[in-house]
Amino acid sequence: MKSYILPGIPVVLLLLCAQGCSTPPPVRYPPPVVEQDGTTPDVPARPVAPGGVQQKPGPSTVMASSPAVVGLLGQAEKQANSGDLEAAAASLERAIRIEPRNPLLWYHLATVRLAQQEAAQAEQLAAKSNSLAAGNRLQQSRNWHLIARARQALGDGDGARAAERRARELEGR
Amino acid sequence: MARGRKRGRRKSRRKVVRHRSSPWLRLILLLCLLLAGYVVYLDLQVRQQFDGKRWSLPARVYARPLDLYVGRELTADQFQTELRALYYRPVKTATQPGRFAKNRDEFHVITRPFTFWDGQQNSASVRVRFSGNKVSALADAATGRPASLVRLDPVLVGSFYPAHNEDRVLLKLDDVPVSLTDALIAIEDRGFYKHHGVAPLAILRALWANVRARGVVQGGSTLTQQLVKNFFLSSERTLTRKLNEAIMALLLEWHYEKDEILEAYLNEVYLGQDGKRAVHGFGLASHFYFEKPLAELNIEQYALLVGLVKGPSYYNPRRHPERARVRRDLVLDVMADLGLVERDEAARAKNKPLEVSKQWRKAINTFPAFLDLVRRQLQRDYRDEDITSEGLTIFTTLDPQLQWQLEQTLASGLQALGKGRGTEGGKLEGAAVVTSVQGGEVLALAGGRDPKFAGFNRALDAHRQVGSLLKPAVYLTALEQPQRYTLATQLDDSPLTFTARNGTVWKPGNYDKMSHGKVPLYQALAHSYNISTARLGLDLGIDSIVTTLRRLGVEQRLNPYPSLVLGAVEMSPLQVAGLYQTFASGGFLTPLRAINAVLAADKTPLQRYSLSVRAVVEPAPVYLVNTALRYVVREGTGRSLYQVLPEDWDIAGKTGTTDDLRDSWFAGFSGDHLGVVWIGRDDNASTGLTGSTGALRIWRDLFRHFGNPGMNQPVAENIEYHDIDPATGLLADAGCEDAVQLPFIVGSAPYENAPCARGAQVLPNPVDWFKELFQ
Repeated sequence: MKSYILPGIPVVLLLLCAQGCSTPPPVRYPPPVVEQDGTTPDVPARPVAPGGVQQKPGPSTVMASSPAVVGLLGQAEKQANSGDLEAAAASLERAIRIEPRNPLLWYHLATVRLAQQEAAQAEQLAAKSNSLAAGNRLQQSRNWHLIARARQALGDGDGARAAERRARELEGR
Repeated sequence: MARGRKRGRRKSRRKVVRHRSSPWLRLILLLCLLLAGYVVYLDLQVRQQFDGKRWSLPARVYARPLDLYVGRELTADQFQTELRALYYRPVKTATQPGRFAKNRDEFHVITRPFTFWDGQQNSASVRVRFSGNKVSALADAATGRPASLVRLDPVLVGSFYPAHNEDRVLLKLDDVPVSLTDALIAIEDRGFYKHHGVAPLAILRALWANVRARGVVQGGSTLTQQLVKNFFLSSERTLTRKLNEAIMALLLEWHYEKDEILEAYLNEVYLGQDGKRAVHGFGLASHFYFEKPLAELNIEQYALLVGLVKGPSYYNPRRHPERARVRRDLVLDVMADLGLVERDEAARAKNKPLEVSKQWRKAINTFPAFLDLVRRQLQRDYRDEDITSEGLTIFTTLDPQLQWQLEQTLASGLQALGKGRGTEGGKLEGAAVVTSVQGGEVLALAGGRDPKFAGFNRALDAHRQVGSLLKPAVYLTALEQPQRYTLATQLDDSPLTFTARNGTVWKPGNYDKMSHGKVPLYQALAHSYNISTARLGLDLGIDSIVTTLRRLGVEQRLNPYPSLVLGAVEMSPLQVAGLYQTFASGGFLTPLRAINAVLAADKTPLQRYSLSVRAVVEPAPVYLVNTALRYVVREGTGRSLYQVLPEDWDIAGKTGTTDDLRDSWFAGFSGDHLGVVWIGRDDNASTGLTGSTGALRIWRDLFRHFGNPGMNQPVAENIEYHDIDPATGLLADAGCEDAVQLPFIVGSAPYENAPCARGAQVLPNPVDWFKELFQ
């Protein structure tokens, strides 16, 4: 039977792939107090806040998946391998409901859509995964490989080659 | 011989006979023909009723099922509320589905089996523990082994009824407890399995039984006759009617098996009235009277239901509990007489109270505004009659916990805002939408301050000026041109007079009636300055802003006038949510969905409404706009947000106020939720509220309950941070007191040092950033 999901890569390994995190530099500045558009004047502005606006956010994706999500991934894989791709998609959407910012789940959903001949949506979902996978080069390269396949399926040879190039660059080849 | 004689005789009287009996014969023949025709007609009718569309089944609308897993944000109280909404019964020891036992923060729950869009789910017996605001442990109750994920059955939030307002919960005979059918047959038609549809003797037998019991315990007509009577919903008691019933009953028996007829009866019999809605069948009656599925009832409850068949209104247990009780006990006696129950069990059952639930809550749709949205989304794919009569099961995205919170917050918020304004205060109306940021699922929706009012749905139908809510689209248009605009770009907020080609003069002003000279772009948005935004919009060109809005999914008519940049466009709260969804989800247009899946009456999947996304804006410029939207609530117009919310919550949002304070808006999002709140009046008079003194307060009270959402928005690939001196928009260093850290699309940051910067600034090497771009 054809495996649509996780070609040759164990789930757990993917879930554990860590990613870099840059520590934001300290933040300073007393902000000006300006009223506009009806702000209550007695409310002071809030200059410093941990995780607040002046800080560069930390790692973007939560890769340590909960057992619930790992279970759903396994279920989706089983469903996809037995040919029930729509059920696999439903399981992945359920997982996304639990961990909406986990790029791996979006990638798998893209894989299922590609297997369902929905190449355009597959490309979009892989792009979504990319947008959530900042700093995670492995995931990004996998997304670009998938985008390449989707574009190929859509008859966009040039686009597919460009995507493949991106994928290889991310792999450092 | 005899024959010949007869013939002869006939022959001899031929003329006479012909003349005397021929019209009679003809008449009889005609009558027979007519009768035969009539019987055929009745046959057709009765079979049509029985076979084809035996019952029109309303669509059932369910909330999202609650997924339980360790780490899920959910309090023990919320969990219990959900169980209550599911009519799970609290017990000391849970032994069967639909029951739960609670011991401090630990629950033992036995879930009900349920058919979801991904198949049948069996009952599960689980232990759930809560600590703080989270599920802290989840285990199989039998083995004690940890469970990774448990799904409860979903809360039924409403139904779409056909015009004649019949309702049912369809039963299969195999699912009906034998005690119930035994009792029914004992009371209503003891000869059911023997007769052919009509039982003349039954009338006598019933008479005898009634005399013996000193009351009416049996009726004369068979179950089959009663079924026919129910099919044609007529209570007239004429002889023809009775005759028709008898013929049809015979016909039914001729065509169908006893069990088929019994099953039909169980689903058809009229058992009560719920306002305008007729309660048909034992399945729904069980919910209607006991708020439980039939399988979970006990013997005295079966007896009560069976007793109701005779006269649902006369024996109505809510209105006439004593009559209902006497009737129930009579049924129990008959059952004991026939050996269907042990005597002592019957005696025990007779001592039990009626235990009828106080009020049937599902009579009205619990969340009319949300159901309105569901119905409209369904209407794109289904005809009205299919929605109301095909027995569809509709799985929606509604989160009842959020919905209750929203309804409560909006009502109390509006009341607080209206306080001290006399009758005017009561005229404040509001609407709100909450969606999931990445999935675009509509989780909660309020169409007005009275959540039970199924009228004007402001969340969908109040199209109001959006004012400053539109500004992010203007700033996005700018920031998509990193070589021209960055967050640090100094915008001109000095007075502006614009004369259109047709001679119209436009003089936008700031809310504070002041102009602010040069302001960095991010602050112009954070403080919602009108003049600098108008100037920016004019520089960009109105058409390009229209294009941006279209890309963001705005579909309504847009007038390409300069006033557009300041929000001269009318949108509903739901449409605003759609617009902000794209910002919240990092540039991906995610159509808002209220429905996840639809099942047919036989529980086969009909349709799934799946998650789909479309990249419409590059992540980097969206990231920049969202950064400015964080400044809105940190130091701009929305900064009163943090009077209530903890400082470490990462929120982005925008206030909106329209002319004369007619509309008060706030649209904002955290990592998980997007919320849009609108306050205004139906007569479009002034509310006296700005975005931040009105809608924002309700928004923050609402989001306070959602827990720390941690936006944790991923930094787009080609973003780099620089220290900036806001006064000049140039690079800052340790020497600059007021420096802020701002994100830039790689290569777009200023090269020059601000006057306050003392040290030499190392300029980024163009080759380096070019390399970085492809990492």
